[in-house]
Amino acid sequence: MSGLIERLTVRLTVRFLWRSPAAVAEAVRGFQATEADGVWHLRRGMRAVRDPKQRAEMFTHSLEEESHADEFAAIYPAYARAPFAARHYERRDLYPAGDDAGWRAMAYVNVGEDDATARFKLLADALEDGPLRDSLRRIVKDEEGHVHLTQAMLLRMGATASEAAAAQRDVRLARAWDAWLRAGKRAVNAVAVALLSAAYWLAGPFVAGAARARLRRRVVAHDNNQLKRL
Amino acid sequence: MKVLGVSYGYHDASACVAVDGEVRAACAEERETRQKHDANFPAFAIERALADAGLTVADLDEVVFHEDPHAKFSRVLCAAMAPYPRSRSEFVNAMKAWLGRKLWALGSLAGRLDVPLERVSYLGHHFSHAVQAFMGSGFDDAAVLVLDAVGDWACSALYAARYVDGRPVIERVLEVAYPNSLGLVYSAVTAWLGFSPNDSECSTMALAAFGRPIYAEAFREVIPEDPEAGYAVDPAYFNFQRFYQGPVTERFIERFGAARAPGSPLPFACFGEGGAVSEDHQRYADVAASVQLVLEERALGLCATLRARVPSERLCMAGGVALNCVLNARVVREGGFREVFIPPDPGDGGTSVGAALYVSALRAREPVTVARYGPYVGPRVDEGDDLELIEHVKPDHALPYLKPGAERVAGVRWRRARLEPDALAEEVARRLFAGEVVGWFQGRAELGPRALGNRSILARADDVAVATRLSRAVKERAAYRPYALAVAREEADAVLDFGDGPRPDARWMQYAVRVRDEARGRVRCGLHVDGTTRAQVCGADDNPGLHAVLTAFGRLSGTAALINTSFNPSGYPIVATTVEALAMFARTDMAALAVNGSLVWKERGA
Repeated sequence: MSGLIERLTVRLTVRFLWRSPAAVAEAVRGFQATEADGVWHLRRGMRAVRDPKQRAEMFTHSLEEESHADEFAAIYPAYARAPFAARHYERRDLYPAGDDAGWRAMAYVNVGEDDATARFKLLADALEDGPLRDSLRRIVKDEEGHVHLTQAMLLRMGATASEAAAAQRDVRLARAWDAWLRAGKRAVNAVAVALLSAAYWLAGPFVAGAARARLRRRVVAHDNNQLKRL
Repeated sequence: MKVLGVSYGYHDASACVAVDGEVRAACAEERETRQKHDANFPAFAIERALADAGLTVADLDEVVFHEDPHAKFSRVLCAAMAPYPRSRSEFVNAMKAWLGRKLWALGSLAGRLDVPLERVSYLGHHFSHAVQAFMGSGFDDAAVLVLDAVGDWACSALYAARYVDGRPVIERVLEVAYPNSLGLVYSAVTAWLGFSPNDSECSTMALAAFGRPIYAEAFREVIPEDPEAGYAVDPAYFNFQRFYQGPVTERFIERFGAARAPGSPLPFACFGEGGAVSEDHQRYADVAASVQLVLEERALGLCATLRARVPSERLCMAGGVALNCVLNARVVREGGFREVFIPPDPGDGGTSVGAALYVSALRAREPVTVARYGPYVGPRVDEGDDLELIEHVKPDHALPYLKPGAERVAGVRWRRARLEPDALAEEVARRLFAGEVVGWFQGRAELGPRALGNRSILARADDVAVATRLSRAVKERAAYRPYALAVAREEADAVLDFGDGPRPDARWMQYAVRVRDEARGRVRCGLHVDGTTRAQVCGADDNPGLHAVLTAFGRLSGTAALINTSFNPSGYPIVATTVEALAMFARTDMAALAVNGSLVWKERGA
């Protein structure tokens, strides 16, 4: 049932929200950022892993993820009228220390890839022919292999099956919480837009003239060049 | 006095630790997060800078923010309200960002670092730039010119700086107010040319060399001289408030023609074969040449104001516009100052340095006489365990993920060896002479956007095939963008023509310098079409490792000069860790990589 809802959501998104190339371009930026985020966490996670063999596996895997990020950046100009500029996130060290930091980072990557594979597959099915569909199909092929590979790596890196499952569950919970927060932010954003728009229309007639006068000044009148505290 | 300087909120967030007027460590957030020009709160950069300085937050006496959030908010508010009733969305977006976050930056800084608010102070944005330039110079007194996009209210700022009883005293001469911004005009033209504003202004500067300044008169009208401020910007040509939706107006398009589509080919080449140049291509280059020329003229006008009002023969420059090496060279030649200094990171990433230096010098126990600092104050890396992984990497597994231009060769193996410094320099020089592209990753990272021999990619400068491979299969770099040239100091005068006027301090790639006619064939791929190069003159005391490679290469080739380009994949910041360096090595045609004392190389047919 949830699969059906997801399929429907994706189809509606593609059909209605992605009608303009600019919307597709924004989505492509998001995919690029997701892949680049995976690379960052993988390489950050490597710091906690001592076994050079496992580090080598993580490293090779990060190259693949990086190439996916590059692929999304490369197809961006097909949909956008501006040069590609990566979307930035405030990075967080999810697993900053401890013996389990490496495999926990791998659990994070594994869940991300599992979700991305499912989403990319649905999108590839829903999209019409074009560079994004081609890239998604190619990347889905890679990612399907990755889900199994990262699952195996997770266990090889020292997690027991139950620890791995628990870590994946934690990651999914954290992602769900993030999604909930994002939804909350969207709601707050809608309220903020309404309030600020009202403020703009109400205050504008009284302050716009002063603002224009201020912007007509060629030099800064007030000397603000000193050390200050609140 | 231990002080942390912090800059964030617009682009190039960074952190710097200064102790008693001395820079101990600095770090750009982008290097840690791998997001170019990252503007987010520099949590990782702070952690890194403190660790490199051997301090913790508890050791800090003060934290200084690089700009005045309240002054900046008043400017943003005015800019958003002035176009009423056509600016609702700009107003809403600006206020969401400011009321939601940016206005409370000082409290947020105190909260995130867990320091009392009384220990957090702040400076004006351009003042931070001015301190960074003056205190980095080692001059006793100087005129200071800050040319930026926009800070709090000012876009350009002029100061008189000196030390009084070992404390820096920096007094305002003039501040040109928003929206009269040379930096924003240049960025707007950059966007019109189809490049990324706030990132690819270097592409505009590069393109300018292919053009003729036939639109200079038009740009003189767009940026007219002004008796009060030195220059002004006609707002009818620009939409600074909606920069990322389209920074130029219809009037600009009427005057200079349609914008270039991003990503469309540009057939100009610094070396090798270019393509057929259409009228539109030439128009883009001509517009770039014209805006560059007028930028230089207006900056020289501000220099004249400074000369008239500040009794010093020395000039310090900072702000993002001071990354324009063609402008800088002209200021040295024609600005009328005996000496010119530009700090290693004149852009916004360097404002944390200015903020930290100022307070640490102001409150140091002993008077600070010289606070000079160099570029090598970034994070240091111990390659230790990182290189062990290469014994276990199967390069064939990376074949599907090579960069598009890279050669796909199966059966390559990675080797590594540890070498003494002299042997490493000799071996790297030998490989460079054989036409290899070599990654050179040594010691502490450079502060700022220039790779100066610690996070560099090196290649011989006389071989078009090598430089073409570097552009296509390593850097993914457009052919119209020239490479910079590193030259051993002993050979600088044989390769570079500094002319008769004041000589630029060419240690940090900040000036376009003419290459001597007789040397051009030997460094042809490190030249721009106008016969100049962004030179790094490297002495043994500046960077011993790079100098050793240059001199060893000079013994083999007869010319101690190499292409020196930044060690970063296209679209990403300069690499910060051994793993990132190895990743670029793995995915490109880089043949060898020197990480501190270790050399890694690709061996074919093993």
